[in-house]
Amino acid sequence: MITFATISFLGLPLLAILLLNIVRKETGGTISINIGFVVSIIQMIAAVVCLSLLWLHGKDFIEFSLFWDMNATLGSARFSVDLFSLVVLFCIGMVSLASLLTAKKTIGAKALNYTNLLMVIMLGMNGIAVVTDLFSLYVFLEITGIASFVMIALLHDKRGLEGAFKYLVMSAIASALILGSLALIFTQTGSLVYGDVANALADWRNAQYAPLLVVAFVAFIAGFSIKAGIAPFHGWLPDAYQSAPASVSVLLGGIVTKMAGVYAIIRVLNSVFVSMPMINQTLLILGLISIVFGAVAACGQRDFKRILAYSSISQIGYIIIGIASGSLLGFVGAMLHFFNHATFKTTLFVNSAAVEAQTGTTDIDQLGGLQARMPVTAVSSILAFLSMAGIPPLAGFWSKLLIIIAVWQSASVAGGAIALAASIFTAAYFLILQRKVFFGPLEDHLTEITEAKGTISLAAVLLSIVTVAFGVLFPVILNFLHLQGIL
Amino acid sequence: MNIVSAIILTAALLMIIAGMFCLVRTYNLIRIIIAIELAMKAITLLLVFSGWVNGNLALAQTFVITMIVLEVIVAVVAAGIIVSLYRKNGNVDIRELTNLKG
Repeated sequence: MITFATISFLGLPLLAILLLNIVRKETGGTISINIGFVVSIIQMIAAVVCLSLLWLHGKDFIEFSLFWDMNATLGSARFSVDLFSLVVLFCIGMVSLASLLTAKKTIGAKALNYTNLLMVIMLGMNGIAVVTDLFSLYVFLEITGIASFVMIALLHDKRGLEGAFKYLVMSAIASALILGSLALIFTQTGSLVYGDVANALADWRNAQYAPLLVVAFVAFIAGFSIKAGIAPFHGWLPDAYQSAPASVSVLLGGIVTKMAGVYAIIRVLNSVFVSMPMINQTLLILGLISIVFGAVAACGQRDFKRILAYSSISQIGYIIIGIASGSLLGFVGAMLHFFNHATFKTTLFVNSAAVEAQTGTTDIDQLGGLQARMPVTAVSSILAFLSMAGIPPLAGFWSKLLIIIAVWQSASVAGGAIALAASIFTAAYFLILQRKVFFGPLEDHLTEITEAKGTISLAAVLLSIVTVAFGVLFPVILNFLHLQGIL
Repeated sequence: MNIVSAIILTAALLMIIAGMFCLVRTYNLIRIIIAIELAMKAITLLLVFSGWVNGNLALAQTFVITMIVLEVIVAVVAAGIIVSLYRKNGNVDIRELTNLKG
């Protein structure tokens, strides 16, 4: 049971890629989307099964390999899942499902190509979640990255190609920085497995090449900050999100940048750079800049998807300061905010896809009063935005609260205060967007608009249910984590 | 630090600086890809160097081979995007890429 569940994380997307290349191109559209549904639903089930088995056996992690002997020699890849990676594996399944539900209505003739690339991207993200050495992490980062460049340019339009090229160049620079720092770290450690590197770096100040290691740490943070789109390194992110096709924006905004950047930072910080307060302080400052910058910049935007992109920068800042606080409370807060951000940002991108599919534009100046015409979209976007702004009892409130308490307690009071104050800007851009798109009088040219029926609404409803349920049941979850000895 | 490592590190640094300088100075999309490739070659050199320093040359070689494969795929995707952009815009000038603004 447990072997099957763990292997399915990497084996199933691979199998699906093989299957998808057997079906005929002319008729394969619907079949391919259905194969995608099966894979993402099985992934969610497998994550839940693994999570319950983990608690049943009282283990911290499960190690596995795909089809090789993981104890064979030095350098053989070894995978492992723990609580955090299972939570993100569940998120990957959930967001892929939402993206597929959106794509079923919007992607049209490109369905087969889209599902193929989605499987590659899922393989890459699942890989990032389960690897235990830095070089495999880089390999899966590249797989995810390459699939996302192609997906952004999927429709071959001018904007998509431009966004894809900007993402590609920034991502290639990030890869160069990450790999360069891996080479410098490898000089010192002789192995890139998380545990070995952590042991070798415990006494890095006395190392032979200590100045080179400082260069390596700086390059490492810079590289992953580019991948995550943290504020001074965010240039590509709004362009990529805005230019991508609707269903690809759901995927990128919901999970891809968070896996490639934020998850990798958290994993590396937790298992490799364990006792380096300077890295935590750097990330704290970067996270605070991101929170404030993203929220202020979002207020000045005029495009639905671009506002969501800037709000992603801001929310990723919250996850980063949570982990940079260095305490267990901050880690749990970051993990829960990761889950919550995946839910509510996916809801909002699904809503933007619904608006785009029905009205043909995402420019908020041309929209107005859609509340009456598109009730499901309007209500789910309000719920998602309230959750993002941190209004109780929705899910976002609890995780933000944990993060701010953790930063207040263990890192800096000023940091916590800034993070708290920036929540007001979140409410500000939320109000601007809601007022321009959903509230107010109906624009004359929009009177014929109807609700986006079928799968898009289904995705929005399902994700809203998750947001509300997670918020209302949050004390139960927190209590459960407490009983398990995690918090 | 002996003389050989100093030379290799200096060479890698110079290659990275050359790549980044080219990246900043050029307006040509193809030259941007060449600049990135140049910087990645320097990283390859660094990886081999690190394997030589710590005595795990075999492991470093596997890293280098894997990395070359990935880097080629990135270059191919980039070239594909540049060809499509050339068909849309009629040139390969990065100053034409201004459709997306906030």
